[in-house]
Amino acid sequence: MVVLAASTFFGSRAGLAASVFCILSFNFFFLPPYYTFNIAGTENWVAFGAFLITALVSGQLSGYALRQAHESEQRRLEIERLYKELSEAFEQASEAEALRRSEKLKSSLLDAVTHDLRTPLTSIKAAVTTMLTPSNEFQINDPSAIDLLKIVDEETDRLNYSVEKLVGIAKVEAGAIERLSHPTSVEEIVSNVVGRASKLLAEREITIDVTSDLPNVFVDPIAISEALYTVLDNAAKYSKPPGKIKLTARPTGEGSVMLSVQDQGIGIAKELRERVFEKFYRAGIGGGRFFPGLGLGLAFARGLVESQGGKIFLADPESEYSTNFVLTLPTEV
Amino acid sequence: MIATKILIIDDEFQITRVLKQSLIAHRYDVRTSADGESGIELYRDFRPDLVITDLSMPGIDGIEVCKAIRAESSVPIIVLSVKGEERTKVEALDAGADDYITKPFGMNELLARVRAALRRQPSNEAESIIEAGDFVLNHGEHQISFRGSDLHLTPKEFDLLAFLIQNQGRVLTHRALLGKVWGGNYTEQTEYLRVFIGNIRKKIEPDPSDPRYILTEPWVGYRFDPGQKDL
Repeated sequence: MVVLAASTFFGSRAGLAASVFCILSFNFFFLPPYYTFNIAGTENWVAFGAFLITALVSGQLSGYALRQAHESEQRRLEIERLYKELSEAFEQASEAEALRRSEKLKSSLLDAVTHDLRTPLTSIKAAVTTMLTPSNEFQINDPSAIDLLKIVDEETDRLNYSVEKLVGIAKVEAGAIERLSHPTSVEEIVSNVVGRASKLLAEREITIDVTSDLPNVFVDPIAISEALYTVLDNAAKYSKPPGKIKLTARPTGEGSVMLSVQDQGIGIAKELRERVFEKFYRAGIGGGRFFPGLGLGLAFARGLVESQGGKIFLADPESEYSTNFVLTLPTEV
Repeated sequence: MIATKILIIDDEFQITRVLKQSLIAHRYDVRTSADGESGIELYRDFRPDLVITDLSMPGIDGIEVCKAIRAESSVPIIVLSVKGEERTKVEALDAGADDYITKPFGMNELLARVRAALRRQPSNEAESIIEAGDFVLNHGEHQISFRGSDLHLTPKEFDLLAFLIQNQGRVLTHRALLGKVWGGNYTEQTEYLRVFIGNIRKKIEPDPSDPRYILTEPWVGYRFDPGQKDL
């Protein structure tokens, strides 16, 4: 009993010690000659041997059982730990899932709103331009009717422009603009944007200075073109013809290409250099009046550039100019 | 004279309504359909000379409409897209659409696209001589002449310009051009294309920086306008 108890609670070594102790006391107390450690007679030797084996085996067995118990305890702890980790992972995953769902919800909501705004604009634009296009079936000749239709047409364009900007900023905020790392030529971006902005820049003296052999940038060219267009639009809006606008592109040597747009417009005070990128911020023209627009263009441009791993900020202009917008675009993925 | 037949597929009733009225005013014979499935059915029934389809529609979308119609004929297809759908637009062009227009658009613009698409003769690659505006493509002699004199082109330049001439008026995506001229492994190498287009432009464009024959469709591809014969 002592052996079993010892090996169960203290392991096989304690069991062995208990066995030895028991054998000795068995010898001392129960085998003749009593009260000595000597063994007399063959049958006593057999009894002693049997006792010894029993003690050792039972000690070993219970020690083994203890080891087993210990190991299974270890395993249980291990499983518990794994379970905890797993449930934590599940928790995180469901949080991510919830986040993903809310993103998805946001972007599908965005799609629905965009669709609901754009569809009527499309019908109005198509209808009004049909009336303004002389056709075989009908012609509108009354000059005042034509004038009124032109107003509808122009205002449709204006509304569409605002919708595009609002949708754009909402997309940026919903994180719905992906980083698309296509190797893209900066020259291609510049030539496309300048081509598209030609009407805007018609009466400005524009200088384009793009270093040849610029490295490719890893961005979504459409997003960056949109941002650059917004900056050029801004430059044209806040400067009077025939002001100069200068667009330069240079490698920075630090894994990016720098695009800069400088104009000779009203300029931006140093302390406002960050504020102009805030939503709904508009430059005042004195007397509490503002330039027209929603004040979303630059916030949108910043969102677009940042979504592609780039930066956009205002820097000190060259002496001839008053404003200098700088975009840096990554040349690596 | 029998009126030119146009099929319009768009799930927005107001849009099909206004386009229908507008195209009828320009003496086209117009039918409309509110979804892709019935659009394809109506296509088989009506046999239009041109199809205008929206891209995003519930059920069968514009891309599938392009594929289904392209599997049966080479009728010109113009897709209506919205800003931000750039990738879908390219997908539609690769699926067989000829041209695209972004909503909202002015009717003049749509009418011009319709006329350009209708003018395009479904070209046959086996055809040995194709005359297109200022250009004559002679496949048999591997020669392209421009305003009466032969152009000196490298073999790749010839392949590229010949493919553009065969598909005049269509928007050809980078992928389509690269796949045709360089083969399937090069469909992402848009810089090759830019270089070769640049070289061809130097040989044919009066002002290569303001091209009039090979027009750039930003981020999508190129369109060949053979010049002259315009309305």
